[in-house]
Amino acid sequence: MSPSLAPGDVAQRVERDVQRALRRGRNGLRYAAGTSRPKVGQTPKDVVWRRHKAELWRYRNDDVRHKPPVLIVHSLVSRSYVLDLYPGNSAVAFLLRSGFDVFLLDWGVADEADANNTLETYADDGIPAAVAAACEAAGTDEVTLLGYCFGGVLSLLSCARHPDMAVRNLVLMATPVDFTGMQAITGLVRDGRLDPEDIVEPTGNVPPEVVENAFRLLKPTSEISQYATLWENLWNDEYIEGYQAMGQWTRDHVPFPGAAFRQTVEQLVRRNALMDGSLELGGEPVDLQAIRCPVLNVVAERDHIVPLPAAEPVPRLVGSSEAEELRLAAGHVGLVAGRAAAKVTLPGIADWIADHSEPA
Amino acid sequence: MAGKPLWRQAFDTVDRRVSGPVEAGARSDAFSDAVALSWRLGRRARREVERRTRHALHLANLPTATDVRRLSEQVSALQREIRELQDRSS
Repeated sequence: MSPSLAPGDVAQRVERDVQRALRRGRNGLRYAAGTSRPKVGQTPKDVVWRRHKAELWRYRNDDVRHKPPVLIVHSLVSRSYVLDLYPGNSAVAFLLRSGFDVFLLDWGVADEADANNTLETYADDGIPAAVAAACEAAGTDEVTLLGYCFGGVLSLLSCARHPDMAVRNLVLMATPVDFTGMQAITGLVRDGRLDPEDIVEPTGNVPPEVVENAFRLLKPTSEISQYATLWENLWNDEYIEGYQAMGQWTRDHVPFPGAAFRQTVEQLVRRNALMDGSLELGGEPVDLQAIRCPVLNVVAERDHIVPLPAAEPVPRLVGSSEAEELRLAAGHVGLVAGRAAAKVTLPGIADWIADHSEPA
Repeated sequence: MAGKPLWRQAFDTVDRRVSGPVEAGARSDAFSDAVALSWRLGRRARREVERRTRHALHLANLPTATDVRRLSEQVSALQREIRELQDRSS
């Protein structure tokens, strides 16, 4: 039996519930009408380099306390604004507050003109040129390269193929290297049920819906439970803002360039070539042992997109004498967005980078 | 759990029971086979529809999606050539 409430408490509770019901109605109408779209990627920035669709952004910061700058390399299949979701929930803003000069390499939205882009396009051309551009803009000799998800794979390949690149530290977040650990998302192409040509559309690229549906199949019921959580928190303006921003991002994938997709399937997925050292780019073998700079491999314990077994082997594969793992109780997106990111993930990463930097 | 409304507690109970088997089903070979088959059939059906409508539209001297696609491919090829020239000159 629940304890009886004083009349004052009852009045307070009724008032709270009425207010919540009113806010729930207002927010519900706004959500259904789509009139309050979240403003994402709001941190002030400047474009400092551009090549075709790729852009290098430098975020404004008057309080840079560490050098070298941090250059973030984003994935090829999703939008980079997940790293700068909205004020109060931004990995970029956190790094700025921590005193870093932050650059972000955004690949743009691939179209038919990009269908022939290979992994070499990104690892041999895009990243080295962006590193040079960041060094020039910041007036430094080196950068800390931070790759997220498939951006981590590209960063890894770039550092391996260009060991002389001006990279002081390499940070990899949720970066898959052992693709046998990603059976859930790669199963359809791994076992030959579908070939890359079945998936690539006439534009020459993998349509974004395919990527979105592949992620959705990993947790088919999660959308329903998210709606339940939305209903429960519909009165909470702050929750709605976060929900809408994240919801927008999860439905906002970009086409995967066909040529890079074919290489990914043939070499990384079917041959698991990063693990056995048989990966070839530009007709040459890729030697991950050539990476000698300090490496931090950030893995998320609850990551259902890049599970632990897929990301864990990085320190064993690189040639660095200092290759560490930072294991965090987070999910794939929780590494960079949300409360856990602000409290646990990002401070851990920022501390490591600061320890491997010098005063500006 | 204590702070959650009753409906949410009931929902979570059902969700916990259902989500595991559903996820396992979505990762099964049978499901993957079904997805691959439906993918191939859908693709074949789209091609067939496109072939028939193309024939009808061409009879009326109207451009089809295939024509637009071919033009788009040519424009993309030109874009790529311009990029290569830009890269060489920079």
